[in-house]
Amino acid sequence: MKSIKLALIGLLLVAGSSFSLRAADLHFIMCGGEVREADQTVVDAFIANNPGVNVNIEAVPWGTCQDKSLTLAAAGDPPSISYMGSRTLRQLANNDLIVPAKISSDLMEAYQPGILNTVTVKGTHWGYPRAFSTKALFINCDLAEQAGVACEAPTNWDELYDMAKAINDNTDAAGFGLVGKDFDNTMHQFLVWLYSNGGQVIDLQTGANMLDSQSTRETLALYEKLVGVAQEGPTAFERSQVKDLYNDGQVGMYVEGPWGRGVHNEGMNEIVVPIPAGPSGESGTLLITDSIAVFKGSGHEDIAHKLATALTSGESQYALDTPDGGWGLTPIFDYEKLGISDPYYKGDDYWAVFINGIGAGGPEPLVEDFKIMQSVFVNMIQGILLGDDTVDNLVSIAGEEFDELL
Amino acid sequence: MIEKKSKLDFYPYFLLAPSLIFILVIVAWPLIETFRLSLTDARLGGESYVGFENYQELLEKKKFHRVITRTFFWMFLSVGLKILLGLAGATLLNAKVPGRALFRVLVMPPWVIPIAIGCIGWLWLYNSHFGLLSGIAQRIGLIDGPFGFLAYKKPAFYSAIVTDVWVGTPMVTIFFLAAMQGVSRDLYEAAWVDGAGRWHRFRRITIPQIMPVIVTMSLLSMIWTFNSFEIIWILTEGGPRGATTTLIVDTYKTAIGNWKFGEGAARAVIIVALLGIFSFFYYSLIKKLNKFEERK
Repeated sequence: MKSIKLALIGLLLVAGSSFSLRAADLHFIMCGGEVREADQTVVDAFIANNPGVNVNIEAVPWGTCQDKSLTLAAAGDPPSISYMGSRTLRQLANNDLIVPAKISSDLMEAYQPGILNTVTVKGTHWGYPRAFSTKALFINCDLAEQAGVACEAPTNWDELYDMAKAINDNTDAAGFGLVGKDFDNTMHQFLVWLYSNGGQVIDLQTGANMLDSQSTRETLALYEKLVGVAQEGPTAFERSQVKDLYNDGQVGMYVEGPWGRGVHNEGMNEIVVPIPAGPSGESGTLLITDSIAVFKGSGHEDIAHKLATALTSGESQYALDTPDGGWGLTPIFDYEKLGISDPYYKGDDYWAVFINGIGAGGPEPLVEDFKIMQSVFVNMIQGILLGDDTVDNLVSIAGEEFDELL
Repeated sequence: MIEKKSKLDFYPYFLLAPSLIFILVIVAWPLIETFRLSLTDARLGGESYVGFENYQELLEKKKFHRVITRTFFWMFLSVGLKILLGLAGATLLNAKVPGRALFRVLVMPPWVIPIAIGCIGWLWLYNSHFGLLSGIAQRIGLIDGPFGFLAYKKPAFYSAIVTDVWVGTPMVTIFFLAAMQGVSRDLYEAAWVDGAGRWHRFRRITIPQIMPVIVTMSLLSMIWTFNSFEIIWILTEGGPRGATTTLIVDTYKTAIGNWKFGEGAARAVIIVALLGIFSFFYYSLIKKLNKFEERK
């Protein structure tokens, strides 16, 4: 009897251990609607190097990608890893849906300044930074010359406004492409100007609410001025729609990311310049990252970490950043520190504009209710674009509403 | 003679059981679960019981009162226009004119086209720089430059109303047309012989005869319009600055956009309650009006 029991226990142990040797099926949700060749290469190599592991990449369009991952997590069937906007990380972490990232120290040193702040909540990194962008100002030189102004970088907000006004008054185009739709890039564009004016939203050291400030008031006042020289009805436009107007020669300038060169009309006579400094700051920009998050509860977090690391480091990450075959993003690493001797951005004035502002840039604020945060900003911005209230009142109200989020 | 008590006949209930189970699962359970959720602070990370706190917070917010008011205004204006245009359209389609069959077919596309596709078309029509409406208005000198119909609060609201009326009027028209075709021609002939004009015949014969259909269509249309989501969401997503946010849009933003399931469920329960109360008063009013007419 005893021997039968032992045999049964032995059988159970063998069966149990065989579970760990069975295929681990990783579910990777990737945004963009298509599986990139570079990612597929990494995944294929990962599968080859990890016997028993299978990776199912699900390419989901941008508009529904994040929500899909959150819905699956809320339903108790999380993906193994998912591409997420870093703004979601705090909410995911606070709700115990993801696990901390395991970023090696040599990679930490190679990231561009400020990158890790976008994935850090209370000292812990919650995502593997995957895509990074900064912003700059694109100016249509044909329209500038038609308006009788030199096509060169404005160095402050007064020069910016004067240039936009000249284009608005002397051509058929609007001077400035202003973004005001209820969309995330409305908030992003505002932050670009805020950070170029010495402003902050959250104090990175203390976590205090810094939104209600003189810098914010000056930035909102800029928007109030720009409405007069912007395209009709900015509250109906988000950035990609303003891009269409820019391509159509209907706005003289607008703020865009490094992919701008690839989405503007070929042969367009344009320059790209740093965001001009506001009265209270220096030229800066907004640091936005998307990350790969490892979800809790998949049953194979360790393997998921390995895959996330493989995707977000070295040549694989470089292949994503480079404009040739990749997305054409601001380099997330200082790739020379990782041994890539002639990175795509070296010696190219175009990339210098997007990289040089990083030091003075600020991160997208990390709060739990990021969509409510977006509403707070959009409400404030639309308030001034529609002339609903004064700058003072709108900033005060936004400051109070933002306080409730912290 | 003492009659034997008959046994309870389970057979009818046995036949009804599949439908009852279906209704319980599809209708009753979600309702009960929604109400249960509304008593919690359910969100991404879990839930805990909070009683009627969600309702209390909602009813104290002035912003929520404005959403309710806006929703009823949206409903009454849109349905009023649909009923009026539906009546007018049905009357025209009921007339004996050449090509009547073709006109009846041509009235259908707004209803037949998937709402999302239709709304995307309207989105482009309303566009300030590339849209037909702004373009035509500029060419005929109505406006000096491009106009963003969806960029300003009141224009966005009324533009959404126009789209909603465009989508909903064909169905109302068809139902009214069917009802009008059921009215006996003898009544019209008798009235004509007595010298009643067109408007008099319409008011005294057509309207009373099709009143049950008008009442039913009005109520159904009000419920559908009250809960109309896709049109507003595609056109404006409730903006600008909440100008087109109705109760259903607010519920969606709270529950699905902000992952606050408990608060969203409270809003959904309030929608059900408001529609229930409204329907009760609506039918009571119609009953009173009918009694008044009968006594006349």
